[in-house]
Amino acid sequence: MLAFISARQAGLDDPLRLRRAECTRRVLSLELNKDRDVERIHGSGVNTLDIEPVEGRYMLSGGSDGVIVLYDLENFSRKPCYTCKAICSVGRSHPDVHKFSVETVQWYPHDTGMFTSSSFDKTLKIWDTNTLQPADVFNFEGTVYSHHMSPIATKHCLIAVGTKSPKVQLCDLKSGSCSQILQGHRQEVLAVVWSPRSEYILATASADSRVKLWDVRRASGCLITLDQHNGEKSKASSEAANTAHNGRVNGLCFTSDGLHLLTMGTDDRMRLWNSSSGENTLVNYGKVCNESRKGLKFTISHGCDPEFAFVPYGSTIAVYTIYSGELITMLRGHYNTVDCCVFQPNFQELYSGSKDCNILAWVPALREPIPDEDAEKQYLNPAFEDGWSSSDDEG
Amino acid sequence: MDQKLTHLVEDLTTSGDPQLDPEKMKELKKICKSSEEHISHVYHLLMTQLNQDHAEMRFSAFQIVDELFTRSHQFRTLIISNFQEFLELTVETDYEQPLPPPKEIAQKLKKTVIKSVQEWHEKYGEAYKKLSLGYHFLKQNKKVDFQDVNVRTPAARRREEEKQKRLDNIYKERAKRAEKEMAEMSQEIQDTLTEMENCFRLLMPDPFDFRVNDAELEPVTERTANEDKPTSSLSMQMANCQPSLLEHMDDEQPCCSKDLLFVSPSLIADRNRDLNEELGLPEQKGVDSGEYSEAEITAAAISDDDSEIFVRNHGLGSHKYTLNLDVSTDVTVRENEDNTAIINNIIDAHKLIKNKFLPSVQSWIQLFTRAGINDDCLRRAIDFKNKLEAAMKKHKEMNIDYKERVRKVMKVSNDEDDDDEDEFVEVPEKEGYEPHIPDHLRKEYGLEPHSPPKALTKGRAAKPILLSNQSQQTRNEEELDPTCAAATLKLIRDKLPKLLPLNNSASANPEPATSTEPDSETRKLEERAKAPVIPFGLDLFYWGQDQPTAGKILKFSSQHRFWAPNEMEEEVENKEVAEMLKSRYITFPGKFEPVKHKCRAVMPDGRLCERQDRFKCPFHGKIIPRDESGNPINPEDKIREENKRFEKQAEQPEWQDPEFMREVEAATGVDLGSSRYSGKGKGGKNKGKKRKYPNLTDLKQEANTSRSRLEKKVFNKGAMKRVVKAMNRMDQKKHEKFANQFNYALN
Repeated sequence: MLAFISARQAGLDDPLRLRRAECTRRVLSLELNKDRDVERIHGSGVNTLDIEPVEGRYMLSGGSDGVIVLYDLENFSRKPCYTCKAICSVGRSHPDVHKFSVETVQWYPHDTGMFTSSSFDKTLKIWDTNTLQPADVFNFEGTVYSHHMSPIATKHCLIAVGTKSPKVQLCDLKSGSCSQILQGHRQEVLAVVWSPRSEYILATASADSRVKLWDVRRASGCLITLDQHNGEKSKASSEAANTAHNGRVNGLCFTSDGLHLLTMGTDDRMRLWNSSSGENTLVNYGKVCNESRKGLKFTISHGCDPEFAFVPYGSTIAVYTIYSGELITMLRGHYNTVDCCVFQPNFQELYSGSKDCNILAWVPALREPIPDEDAEKQYLNPAFEDGWSSSDDEG
Repeated sequence: MDQKLTHLVEDLTTSGDPQLDPEKMKELKKICKSSEEHISHVYHLLMTQLNQDHAEMRFSAFQIVDELFTRSHQFRTLIISNFQEFLELTVETDYEQPLPPPKEIAQKLKKTVIKSVQEWHEKYGEAYKKLSLGYHFLKQNKKVDFQDVNVRTPAARRREEEKQKRLDNIYKERAKRAEKEMAEMSQEIQDTLTEMENCFRLLMPDPFDFRVNDAELEPVTERTANEDKPTSSLSMQMANCQPSLLEHMDDEQPCCSKDLLFVSPSLIADRNRDLNEELGLPEQKGVDSGEYSEAEITAAAISDDDSEIFVRNHGLGSHKYTLNLDVSTDVTVRENEDNTAIINNIIDAHKLIKNKFLPSVQSWIQLFTRAGINDDCLRRAIDFKNKLEAAMKKHKEMNIDYKERVRKVMKVSNDEDDDDEDEFVEVPEKEGYEPHIPDHLRKEYGLEPHSPPKALTKGRAAKPILLSNQSQQTRNEEELDPTCAAATLKLIRDKLPKLLPLNNSASANPEPATSTEPDSETRKLEERAKAPVIPFGLDLFYWGQDQPTAGKILKFSSQHRFWAPNEMEEEVENKEVAEMLKSRYITFPGKFEPVKHKCRAVMPDGRLCERQDRFKCPFHGKIIPRDESGNPINPEDKIREENKRFEKQAEQPEWQDPEFMREVEAATGVDLGSSRYSGKGKGGKNKGKKRKYPNLTDLKQEANTSRSRLEKKVFNKGAMKRVVKAMNRMDQKKHEKFANQFNYALN
């Protein structure tokens, strides 16, 4: 650390380098911290989380009972101990609350004044954050598994929606209608995500084990269908051709630079694809336990040297390096299946939601204080002390 | 050290005791205290024990965990780092991983863990984040009620609540009904109570109830004073000495003063005489004289302040001495013609209270308490109960000596018309009712056998001495009882005399000699009782008659225009049919006779075989007569049995006694082949395979149910294969049969 700082002072290093090193160190030391808590509002499992990209301060969470809660993550109390407060929530008593489980929530990428939520009650709602009233409601024929809005789009305002029908729908916020339908999948669409690199590129994953990349300007069909065998027909039977996984594909995530795409399937595999060529990079992550019947929200770190993927793995969160496929650690803390996790890039914090109704905050561990005898005695929590009785007989 | 640790943990967890051995625990703690490495070692050992499929092991392991948790920070961190698994193994948080048997221990384990987790949370929850997370998880997701010691699932709790609610509703409903009932009945109860109370007072004054007497005394004296001067002295005296009597009088003539206002002195004198007559009444009632005088004196002492008058009135010399009188509280009231009416009243009231009021009041109280109603109703009900009980008690204390009551209903058969007879409504004869029960069926009806019919017709005077005098008497008594079948029978017999000759003739016909010997009579009766009763049929209908058409079958010629059978006999006579109309088959399988003998062969343990087979015992062969000790009586049986024993011994020579051989083998180390005999050996199997942890409950033993054994047989691989093969063969056969048809060929 000191070496990095001195090198930075001397101007030997790129400023990015210090930042990267520190980020990586912090991500590697993520742990549950007793000082950081998220207020317990949800009475049932937490399906989805999203942190707004503008400030990285507000977090939305959607519960499986239709409740949406908005948290403030920033700690202004000047104390190490902080409980993320729920600022407001769309509770069960709210007139416009989702009837069934909320599957996806997303902030409007450019402003915190608006957010979107989709649910199993076959609707997609556009909310005004300040009044907590739905500004617009899109109705669909099937349950909505996932929706996404392009984080970088400036020329369009489309929300891609994956529903129970195999057609991917594009809803235009400007006109308030479903403007476009992308046909190509054969079964329900479990995950949709826009590329962070090019505003017209969309990736969709479906239960027919295919992942397709689309250019929404092209109406005729998809750009590429990702193939796990990279077109080597000899290995693949005719049925498995052009499939990304051997089971349902329920997780999609672009790397922050948009060059690669991570997919998750119920065949307990995670695959990394080159998003421009559609090539399987054949990184081996080992078995990634995935029993979810619906979409799975996983996330990747931002600004670290080897980038990390945080993947729900049963009741734990597995941390992998993206490009080498190495399992770094398992974060244990939830008592039931973890459904979603989201990374806060500014402070390298991770938030995860689980079926046990908890949202846990994983915070980088502080550096060990310099071992100072007196200070240690003072600050040591009495609970950490050993309770052996002093006499030898007692034990 | 590590070895010792392993041993200690294993010993502690496999002891099967509900409490840990304190000595070993102390040792374990001492080792753990010495270094952190031991702690992590212990942690891993304990986790393996917690993973065992035995609730007792898990329970003991958890107890060690609990001990160490409160002591070592290191241990706490270790446990909490894997708290999910820990909870899964101990509290059954994962429904797919239920706690292992035995069930009671598992429940106990769950309870203890939940209690401990709460304690841990209170103590360390702040410092260990995951501990508090786990606690909240249990509390909010698993809905564990930490206050409620019983671990119940929310569903069970809800079910219980619903049940409780339903019960509450029912109780409330019932309580409401009871309340209504009570409102209706309370007046009646009150009346009955008053009636009874009055009756008691009439019969006998309450020796301790002075105040009541006083209170009632006052108006009487006033009244008498009002009446007339000459009588006043007498009534005054009466009041002084016999309050009870006055009260009596008061009750009988409640408005005497008004009536007497204009009555002439002569009448008053009459009345006084009357009173005097009544004065004698208590003696008739048999009231203890001592008690009586006591009442007199005390009453006087209270009512009369003037001691002089007191002394004078009682003819006492002075006021200096005291008079002690023993009051015997046990009273007997004898019934006589004077108080019959009162006592009848009392009896009625007592019956009413005992049979009707008290039970209903008790049920009300029960209902109210159960419904949780705690207001006026309950209080009133309890009040009633107390009053009723007091009345009952008083009744008992009175010791009323009832006269023998003549049951008037008995007189129904007599000609005397009674009031009671009005209550009997003429009932039309019941359908299917047999007014005359045939002799052979009398037993079934619970009646004594009929006296010989002849005797009946001739009148009772000529009755032979068939039945003993005593039985005759009891019979008569029975006849007097209207509820008894005998009485009805007698009534009917009296009413229907015309049926009797018929009976008589029927019985007289077969035996013209009319032998009066009771022996033959009874034998005949017995035989008749034995004879089967058969339903009425055609054969009986045409009994002794000749039927012209019997057995003839009529065939009608065909009505068809063209088609007709060429030859046809119109009438066919069938002998069999004709026979059928005249005869009847009665199958008589005989009667079941239970086996009375036993096998009684000697069993290896010295007892005699208790089996009761008719001919052959499945274990000891043909049943033969045997003596007390089980040896055959007949010599040839004895020989046969001996032979058999020899044969058996030849199979297994005496010196090859398996146990003895085993001992020899153990001593010499040479295999003599004892295992050959111990196939069914009593202790051989268990001895050979010693259980690893003898102190734990044997799960296999528990799982070894008849069902599991059957399962083993039925679902055994070989059996399944056989069945599948057989079924396939059957399928195959069908296929072979229809192989050339395409739709069968395919499947």
